[in-house]
Amino acid sequence: MEWLLGILVVIVIVILGVWLFIAQQGDAEVKFLVDNRTAFTLTEVTKEQAVFSCQVPFVNKGPQDGTIMDCYPRHLLPQEQFDATELVSWIALVKSPRRDGYFEALIVPKTTGDTVEITLKFIAKNGDIRTSMADMVDFTLDIVYQIVARSEWYITKERMTVTATELIQALEVGTANA
Amino acid sequence: MELELIPVKTRILTSKDDIVDTIEKYAKDKIGPDDVVSVAESVVAITQGRLTSPEELKPGFLAKVMCRFVPQKGSLSSVYGMQAAMNVEGEWRMAFAMVVGLLAKVVGRNGVFYELAGEQAALIDDVTGTMPPFDKSIVYGPHDPNGVAEAIKQRLGCYGAAVADVNDLKRAAVLGVSSELQPEKLAQILIDNPFGNASQRTPIVIIKNYAKVAAKATA
Repeated sequence: MEWLLGILVVIVIVILGVWLFIAQQGDAEVKFLVDNRTAFTLTEVTKEQAVFSCQVPFVNKGPQDGTIMDCYPRHLLPQEQFDATELVSWIALVKSPRRDGYFEALIVPKTTGDTVEITLKFIAKNGDIRTSMADMVDFTLDIVYQIVARSEWYITKERMTVTATELIQALEVGTANA
Repeated sequence: MELELIPVKTRILTSKDDIVDTIEKYAKDKIGPDDVVSVAESVVAITQGRLTSPEELKPGFLAKVMCRFVPQKGSLSSVYGMQAAMNVEGEWRMAFAMVVGLLAKVVGRNGVFYELAGEQAALIDDVTGTMPPFDKSIVYGPHDPNGVAEAIKQRLGCYGAAVADVNDLKRAAVLGVSSELQPEKLAQILIDNPFGNASQRTPIVIIKNYAKVAAKATA
């Protein structure tokens, strides 16, 4: 019976060892630092539309590499609250900009990070973006992202507020500089 | 007479495409009887529909534990890369390979896991390993690469064909060749990755004058 007990002890030690190894290994922990975002600036303007962008850093604080499989903005600006424009939004890496709304899956090595650019394109329903933006309101924008790493994938989000003041100011400054 | 490597640009290929038809469409007029046609293995696999995604996989206990023992840069280091490989090579085969591989490592022998775990364990590309829209997919190695190479040779009337896995890190492996070609020799020719990066969309590389240069070398 002693040999059986010995085998059981070895099995328990192996299981404990594996568990400890995994526990100390940890996993990726990707976070968008919305509090550190830049203010929106005007990047394009015509009579009918205005395009604004801001930059948001993100980091992988975890001890393992992680992959951002997908990332997209979700603006919460219902017509009940503001109906003067249509709004289109997208996210892209600052270092590899694109306008198709597609986010190419990206490995974020442990303890590193990068920066995304969020773009908001307002299109005036009455054909005049300046008068349409005059009554702009503060609204919420979620950065929604899907992470996969050592453990199972998940979707999470960080919430930020886009203020009417920064958009109107950016429109005025951008137009004055144009 | 020297070898010349000619990359051929295509549109993004999908599982709706046939790789031999594609080569004929994009490269037929550039290919001669002395040439070897090489094609990127991941693109062959995609045209064969050999891909899956994390959303389609349900990782088991073994995958969750075993992926932890693979260094981070490897495709099997993610739980989904590991599960995808297990689905084709078998969970217990890979578990056995992992145990033996770890023991072999203790005595200083690396690479045993990949020797025992099966071909797909080494060929699988995890998410981010391929160009959009397949960057969110896990791409397996191609099926029957020798058969694919032979089919290309027969259809295009070239000297030979190969299915190759090449990257910018000066690593080249030829997975399949048509008859009478030497994989090691072709890997050496392709070592500088003439396929370029994914965004260049050149999954076909024609090795011009291969037969003449080979004949001259042996004369």
